Formats: sequence, structure tokens, C-alpha cells
Amino acid sequence: MASGIFIVPLLTVCGISLHKAVAASIVSVIACSCSGAAPFLKLGLTNVRIALVLEMATTLGALSGVFLSGVLPATALLLLFAAILLLSARQMLARRREQVVAEEASLQDWATALRLHSTYPDAALGRDIPYRVKRVPLGLALMYAAGLISALLGIGSGVLKIPAMDSALRLPIKVSSATSNFMIGVTAAASGVAYFALGAIDPAIAGPVALGSVIGAIIGARFLMAVSGDRLRVFFVVVLVLLAGQMLLSAFGIHFGAHT
Amino acid sequence: MSDSARHPELEGLLAHLLDKGTWLASAVIAVGLLLTGAGNVGTSLVRLGIALFIGLPILRVVVMMIVFWRDRDYRFGMIALFVLSVIGLGALCATYLGISLH
Repeated sequence: MASGIFIVPLLTVCGISLHKAVAASIVSVIACSCSGAAPFLKLGLTNVRIALVLEMATTLGALSGVFLSGVLPATALLLLFAAILLLSARQMLARRREQVVAEEASLQDWATALRLHSTYPDAALGRDIPYRVKRVPLGLALMYAAGLISALLGIGSGVLKIPAMDSALRLPIKVSSATSNFMIGVTAAASGVAYFALGAIDPAIAGPVALGSVIGAIIGARFLMAVSGDRLRVFFVVVLVLLAGQMLLSAFGIHFGAHT
Repeated sequence: MSDSARHPELEGLLAHLLDKGTWLASAVIAVGLLLTGAGNVGTSLVRLGIALFIGLPILRVVVMMIVFWRDRDYRFGMIALFVLSVIGLGALCATYLGISLH
């Protein structure tokens, strides 16, 4: 579950500068990816080959993002953040649907050459379901953008990765969720290393936030089982829209809460 | 095996690494936070824990590189090396070019 997207707006409300909030959030994005990866890997849902291929694009995107963040004015970043929040809210309202397409038998494509096609276990059916991977070049282009946004805004960019994997690569939903989570760690580490070297990561902020999000992820996973999915979605949509409004206001210089 | 991207051995290895790594980094940060009142030791430990978290996915790519290389899957070994080079390039640029963030 995306956490970075909530962390940055909340830190900026507390009066922390956007750049510091982004750098701190990147650490907790890594922490969430690492702490959530093991169960997916053990179940065999993560496609580690696709992840590695796409990480070539996400890490390059992350580098571009780090450099852009030094150039872009804060107002542009806040506007971009508001747009991503609204996009996330819209995505949360629309249910993800399994994309069904006619099988085209092209054997000369990238996915076949790189041996990316695979199977995943389906608990309900009790057997392995094979799937074929499509349109790898388009997936790479979208992943570059996802990596760039991730580094720029300190978020996991699941909001961009998931559609890229569902629609471009045509991965089954469970495989794309698991693989996206797995990739987020490396993407964020690429910008995290650069931010760390730049001295942008303040341990007094990043430490507690990272620890809190690992604990939050453990509690959240239990809590999510007990709560109705629809109610939770409405709650998240409301929070995302409110945060988008707050980011828009601060983009135009109107601040609530603590001042720096 | 030949037609599937599955690699149960590698998947198990990575699950183990990420799981244990998360616990180690979290524990170091937690101890550091408890010691923040005691001066610089606490802050240094928190910084170490953060570095461990950032290093964990990078170590994961290193493990993938070694396993693919061992399997004579040189193309994927090179892909892993490429990912590591991009991350290294970012660190080098940040250290020596010192782009400003404000």
C-alpha cells in the first residue's frame, strides 16, 4: 500500500520543507517495499526477471528525478504532487479489472527473448496459471516516468507502475502488485543513495518516519482484513482529495498549520 | 523451467534477505532513537539504520547478479550490473557534482 503519498503532505503540513520531506519519505518507501516483499516472493507471485528488466528504466528515471528536483521550483513540485494525489484518488475509485486480450502468437518479441513469460499460483484454482508478457518497450518507457516521479516526489509511484504493468505488459493483477512492490525498493534506493550523498536526508525526520511506516505496514495488514474494502476506499479517496487540496493551496502560497 | 521466469531458489534467497534486512535496519533505527537523548551515538545509529535500508535493495540486485551469473544467464547478469551502475552513477554525481537542492 502506498505510504509515501501520505507522508510527504503530512510532513509539509508540520512545517518541514518539501525537499526534506521528499528525502525522508524515500527512506520509508524503501522500508515498506523491503518489509512487504518476502510474502509475495514466497508465494511465487513476484516476477523477478520482469522486475530487473524494468528496474533499468526506473533507476534511470530516478536519477533524472534527483537532478530535476534541484532545478524545478517548489511550486511546480507541489502542483505535480496534487495532480498525482488526484490521479491516485481516481484510480482508487475505479476497480482494477483483469485485461483480457486475444493471444497473438508473436515469438520474436522482447518478452520471449528475455524469457519473461511465467506462471503464478492461484489459490482458488489450486494450480499454476501461465501468463504471457506484452509490449516491453512501452512498459520500459512508462517505468522511466514512474521512476522520475518517484524520486521527484518521494513516493513509490505505484499509481503509475500498476497501470503500466496491468495495461502495457498485461500482467495478472496479483503478479503486477507483487512485482511493483518489489521494484519500488530499488527505484527508491537509486534516488535514496543520491539524496544520502547530498546530505538531504535528515536522520531526525527520516528515522522515525521509516520505523513508523514499517510498524504501520504490519498493523495495517492486519487491520485491512477486518475492515470492509469499500469503506476503506472511500476513506482513502477523501484523504487523498483533502491532501491534494492542501498541496494546491500551499502551491499558491496559502499555508495552514506550523510555519517554518 | 525453460519457458517460465520462475526461479524458486532465487526467490527464496531474496525473501530471506529482505526479511532479515528489514528487521536489522528497523532494530538499529529503534535503538538509535532510544539513545537520541544520550548525544551523538543515537543520531549515528539512526543514520546507520537509514543507510542499511538504502543498501538493502542494492544488495538484493547484487545477489540477483551473482545468481544469474552463476546460472550462466549472462544477459541478466549484465542487466543487474547495468542497474547497479546507474545507482552508482547517481551516488558519484551527487558526491562530486554536488547539485544543490534548494
